[in-house]
Amino acid sequence: MEAIAVEHSTAHSHDAHDHGHGHHHAQSFIRKYIFSNDHKVIAKQFMVTTIFFLFVGGLAALLVRWKIAYPDQAVPILGSLLPNTWVSDGVIEPGFYSQLLTMHGAVMLFLVIIPMVNGMIGNFAIPLMIGTDDMALPTLNMFSFWLNIPAAMLLMGGFVIESGMAQAGWTAYPPLSAIQGLGQTMWIAGLFLVGFASIMGAINYVTTILNKRAKGMTLFRMPMTIWALFVTAVLITLGTPVLAAALAMLFFDNFFHSSFFIPYGMLASSALDGSRNWTGGGQPLLFQHLFWFYSHPAVYIMILPSMGVVSDVIATFSRKPIYGYKAMIFALMAIGFLGFIVWGHHMFQSGMSPLLGTTFVLSTIVIAVPSAIKVFNWLGTLWGGSIRYTSAMLCALAFVSMFIIGGLSGIFMASAAVDIFIHDTYFIVAHFHYVLFGASLFGVFASIYYWFPKMFGKMMSETWGRRHFFWSFVFFNLTFFPMHIIGLGGHMRRIADPTVYDFLKPFQPMNEFITWAAIALGFSQFFLVFNIFWSLKYGKPAPRNPWNANSLEWAAPEHPGHGNFDTDITVYRGPYEFSQEYREQDYWEQWVPPTEEEKKAEAAYFEAHKGELH
Amino acid sequence: MDFMKYFDFLVWFPENVSTFGAELDHLFEVIWWIDVAIFFLTYGLLAYFLIKYRQKPGVRARGYHGNNLLEFTWTLLPTILFGGLGVYCDGAWETTKNSNRIPKPDVEIEVLGKQFNWVFRYPGADGVLGKRNDKIRTTDNLFGIDPSDPHGKDDIIIENDLHLPINKNVLVRLSSVDVLHSFFLPNFRVKQDALPGSWMKVWFNGIKAGKYEIACAELCGASHYNMRGTITMHSLDEYNTWYDTQIKGKAEQMAQAPAPEAKPAEAEAQAGEHHGDAKH
Repeated sequence: MEAIAVEHSTAHSHDAHDHGHGHHHAQSFIRKYIFSNDHKVIAKQFMVTTIFFLFVGGLAALLVRWKIAYPDQAVPILGSLLPNTWVSDGVIEPGFYSQLLTMHGAVMLFLVIIPMVNGMIGNFAIPLMIGTDDMALPTLNMFSFWLNIPAAMLLMGGFVIESGMAQAGWTAYPPLSAIQGLGQTMWIAGLFLVGFASIMGAINYVTTILNKRAKGMTLFRMPMTIWALFVTAVLITLGTPVLAAALAMLFFDNFFHSSFFIPYGMLASSALDGSRNWTGGGQPLLFQHLFWFYSHPAVYIMILPSMGVVSDVIATFSRKPIYGYKAMIFALMAIGFLGFIVWGHHMFQSGMSPLLGTTFVLSTIVIAVPSAIKVFNWLGTLWGGSIRYTSAMLCALAFVSMFIIGGLSGIFMASAAVDIFIHDTYFIVAHFHYVLFGASLFGVFASIYYWFPKMFGKMMSETWGRRHFFWSFVFFNLTFFPMHIIGLGGHMRRIADPTVYDFLKPFQPMNEFITWAAIALGFSQFFLVFNIFWSLKYGKPAPRNPWNANSLEWAAPEHPGHGNFDTDITVYRGPYEFSQEYREQDYWEQWVPPTEEEKKAEAAYFEAHKGELH
Repeated sequence: MDFMKYFDFLVWFPENVSTFGAELDHLFEVIWWIDVAIFFLTYGLLAYFLIKYRQKPGVRARGYHGNNLLEFTWTLLPTILFGGLGVYCDGAWETTKNSNRIPKPDVEIEVLGKQFNWVFRYPGADGVLGKRNDKIRTTDNLFGIDPSDPHGKDDIIIENDLHLPINKNVLVRLSSVDVLHSFFLPNFRVKQDALPGSWMKVWFNGIKAGKYEIACAELCGASHYNMRGTITMHSLDEYNTWYDTQIKGKAEQMAQAPAPEAKPAEAEAQAGEHHGDAKH
């Protein structure tokens, strides 16, 4: 750090950062852009793959929606391109429908949201926001990205074989997932690798945050984004090995016909070629316990980093300190802790002992408390602010408002008794899309709009950003809000053709409406992609600190090269010193040392307001 | 307050025809109104702040860092509210699902999920279900009925067409022969996963005659969507008439094709496995 600072603090130019700093030797193209150790390049790699997979997963969702709305009609355009084993005359076969919904879930969760909030946001934000040159373990970091590629190929590998992709849902409950063919086997292996990549990243984040903070960056001077990523990384390191165990056993059941999850007396002749036999004696519920022991914390793995980003964005664009900074941190930790003791609420109707159900109701419903603390503190941050409606801020506000709805609908299913009816219906689908898309993904959008200038050295188009926000927000709600209603009508999840049931027939027009809204929602995402490309080419050059924010990433050069900072970074205060009365400027960067007058003004202010401040 | 009905999502529910259904729907309604109140509180504040505190020339934000009393308040109030709600909801859960509190059954049947049908077993003429054992299950003997048990001979097995009397406590023992299924009776507010290898107790009491649908709520394969059955609720007299017809039908069937003899070795292996309710 020191050496870099000395060398470059006097004369830095765009060239200097583009070509890296003194102690980083000139690198070949491959080492610099492909197998790169630079956390910012890895973040960009994650950004490219996750946005690509966002469209893959979205396409699967639209095909699923088409089948539900028009079970007997050919899929426009795509219907004629798919092989005849999967579609007949362009109409999606029920088996292919199951593959699509499995792929939609698995791709969106494991190849989009988790790598977006951890791989993309985590990699980009952590070293910059704690004021260091790179991750503690840069090579491991590189592997955590590149392992995703074979993992993704395995996950979707069934696409190129005749028997097709995995079709047991993203939850892959055995025995169904154990009795399926090669596509499922590859899916299990792929997910195992994704978990491995995820653990590598998380270990790296924990190590970096604990060991590589700049001078003066105490834990309670870290921005909320870093706190959120830290808690998330701890959840990943504790939870993912359990998923790995479950998947290893499932792989054995599927491929070597062991019986970890296969009970006695199971007949599955319809799905078997007759050559496979299991001795039995296992317990299918065991898988669900192990799976949800990871996958419930995973729900928080998917949303906590977004919560962190949203806290920072709201503070910056309200020109206010985040309200209740420590309360926000303790709420994050509480969510992280409670996340590990609520997995049973996915299993209320699974055959788990109903006595356990009562326990899980109480632990689950208590999660509403830290969630409420976060919402009230976000509202508190807006209160008395001076709000700038940038694209990043709009997406962050979308996060807050959609998270409220997702949280409120969660209370229904937290109560085991109410869950009896709504379990495995579209009410659940609506709930988790409000949390995962409405909240998490809008948080990711906010992070892209917020950090794009630092990532690429160009400002993003606000006009296109607002268009993307507006249409995404509108069509998101038109797509997912009606799902609450059809869910209350009893509409089951994962059914290919709801018209089979008389009690669902009245909801079919709503299904058609949802499908068209979903298609529009899908197309709205092209605004984002267009904006990224347009801004890369025509965007105005970004200043060093375009948002007048306080945290350390804005101390780095306009387009930081490998090594990040061109000055010596020392931290003098917390990240949220916005609009302090004793200062002229409405922000106070963490890295700027106070002058003597400023110290006096601050001391005088605190003296005058003794007892009023908290 | 008549306009409030337009805010009530309960209208979308299918008609309730079971005794405990009303209690469950009531809980939904309680949470619903709590949610509506919280929604208007938070969205009201959000909208007010977003309009009032938008950027204005010459107006600076106030640099508050927070207020411990407020933090304390909005920690304590939700804890009391949601903790209380959790406790309040527990009674209905115990009534519907706690297998120790199932009321004395008037009718006992067994239900099996099977790709992609629902299979029902009635006790038949002798009123007793024959012993069963999962380990001897075959495609011809889905329930694994013990061939050496005379009670099992007259058991009636029906697919997808369930008939039951109203105003009677029905106890269902539920399992699956292959993958997971979920026994979903929307109108009765009943949902329970069927696990192969375990027999789960489910109970309900229908209060209105008519024909309703049975669905599978757990992904069970390609034709999951088509795993549909019907449940017809009769008055007791009607039900008895229907049941007698079934008994006669079974007797004729047995007369035509006598059941194959039991293999003694298998029969011994299942001793002591009677009604093994593995889960509860």
